[in-house]
Amino acid sequence: MPVSLNYLVKRIFWSLLIIIGVIILSYIIIISAPGDPARIWAGNPRGEKAIYAIQKAREELGLDQPLPIQILKYTLQILSGNMGISIEYRVPVVDIIWRGLTATLELLVVSYIIGVSIGILLGVESALRRGSRFDGLMQSLAIILANAPSFWLGIGVIVLLAETIGFTGYGRIDPYIMYQTGFHPITGFYLLDALIQGNFAVFIDVFLRILPPAIVVATYPLGLGLRVSRALIAENLNEDYVRVAVAWGIKRKIVIWKYAFRGAIPSLTQVMGLAFAYSLIDAMIVEVVFGREGLGSIAFSIIGKSDYTLITGLMVTVTIFYILMNTLADILQAIIDPRVKL
Amino acid sequence: MPTRLRRSSRIAELKTLVKRAWRRRIGFRIGVIIVVFAITMAILGPFIAPYPEEGWGIASPETQLRGPQPPSWEHPFGTDLVGRDMLSRVLVGAGYALMQITIVVVVSLVIGLIVGVLAAYSRGLIERILNYFTELFMAFPAIIIAIALNTFGIRGLFVVIISLIITWWSWYARIAYVYARSIREMEYVTLAELAGLPSYKIIYRHILPNTLTPVIVQAITDTGSVLLEAAAINFLGLGLPPDYPDWGVLVQNGFNYIYSYPWISLIPGFFILLVALGFSLLGDNLREELDPKMRHRWKLWF
Repeated sequence: MPVSLNYLVKRIFWSLLIIIGVIILSYIIIISAPGDPARIWAGNPRGEKAIYAIQKAREELGLDQPLPIQILKYTLQILSGNMGISIEYRVPVVDIIWRGLTATLELLVVSYIIGVSIGILLGVESALRRGSRFDGLMQSLAIILANAPSFWLGIGVIVLLAETIGFTGYGRIDPYIMYQTGFHPITGFYLLDALIQGNFAVFIDVFLRILPPAIVVATYPLGLGLRVSRALIAENLNEDYVRVAVAWGIKRKIVIWKYAFRGAIPSLTQVMGLAFAYSLIDAMIVEVVFGREGLGSIAFSIIGKSDYTLITGLMVTVTIFYILMNTLADILQAIIDPRVKL
Repeated sequence: MPTRLRRSSRIAELKTLVKRAWRRRIGFRIGVIIVVFAITMAILGPFIAPYPEEGWGIASPETQLRGPQPPSWEHPFGTDLVGRDMLSRVLVGAGYALMQITIVVVVSLVIGLIVGVLAAYSRGLIERILNYFTELFMAFPAIIIAIALNTFGIRGLFVVIISLIITWWSWYARIAYVYARSIREMEYVTLAELAGLPSYKIIYRHILPNTLTPVIVQAITDTGSVLLEAAAINFLGLGLPPDYPDWGVLVQNGFNYIYSYPWISLIPGFFILLVALGFSLLGDNLREELDPKMRHRWKLWF
């Protein structure tokens, strides 16, 4: 393994530092915003005694303490896996976010499988035929897909499906089928749950509902994967080792995938790993467009509600997800690339 | 005067770069055409719109009577829910789009350049601290910050601009840092230091000018992404109020009626795509002309 333990420890320690910074910064941004969460926690009291009720609520929430102590408490709380109780819904924030995160991740993973596999296949093909009309077409397709606003594509897909085959089934799952077949979530990833329970009716239903939004989210990784793999492989095809392999009479397929593509895997992993973190936001927007549950719709349900615990929890979750993905992509790239010595 | 000479050579460098890209790359030419078209639209839009007051969002009894109409000769882009001419709204909206992205990109660029160059120049603890903050702010997505501000009832243009600046400056800081760092290791900088040139002069004379061109080229590429994010924030109703002629808001206006009147959402969205595409083509091709080796640095692609 080309990665030294020293590098790993340093990289992980740095990420941990950033995660702590993110928690502190999120708390400061949220707490310095106007609006009084204590008033809502107290149930919007009116009348003469209201001031005492609000004061009591403020003590309960710990908002009466000095800011540095609040921040310290909050950071320790988050690091121990507790995000407090939602002001709006009065249930633990972790439960709400876990439910949303599984829904969003399910969409993201499905769209990533679609986007990356098609993107790489097209990228390899156009690298092999560089300069041809097909290559030009793919290059334009990639740049258009990478620049299309996802919410607009989502609307386009909804209109298109409704006009052609009359499909309007959105949301995550049909509650009727769910009730009839006795489906119950275990992990929160419905596709996985359906497979575990051997419930194919639910699996097909969930899959058909996830497909249209997944295609929309897939456009970004598809465009990016196409461009990156095309450029990397086109470069590798010019290398001497590929030329030697061809001269030796090794089969074309093996030269492409075992020689040229193998050299592109590390960089590709890193780029696509980073893009995975970005696509989370894309998935959240597309979710709202398609009316699915998930992190995006949770964020929308609390607009104007001053629910500071839930929004900080959400902010921390999304940023930590990004940092983890970034770290993972870096480490993974270093592990699989024999040329990198760290 | 040496200063003037240096500045003009900087502009000359950019000029030859643009000329070379124009000669060699079709993508660049298409990008230039789209961006020039968008800028013309933004400046002339309010004046050439067939129904300017409808473009700004005013609905009269006459428009109410008209109602939503599909595209026709009289209204090439159709009319919206209360009968306002969509062509006029899109034309007026171009100004809003360009204003938002210009403010965001320019402010982020200035902050990013300052932080990045300072981090690269000052070795040791300050470098570490500045890099830490750069990476910290990179982790925040703009839309989450916009949602957070909205949770407390803060809305408007302010939200779009602030949430985008909070996140974008860090990307420019990172790129400026990468370039400035490599220039800082050059021998002429060391020689200038040994000659006793004060550090602000070294930064101003040697490091900043050589960092500027690649960072500006990156900024042009990013402008498309800034437009997409700003449009998403406005589409989600987190930014500008519902009657503004911003493209994202226009898409939102038609969103609840996509089955009956799809053109209200689809046409403004197409313009978002077009302008974002134009900036991407412009920046990407310039970057590849600037430094073909840059294509290896995939991390800077975002």
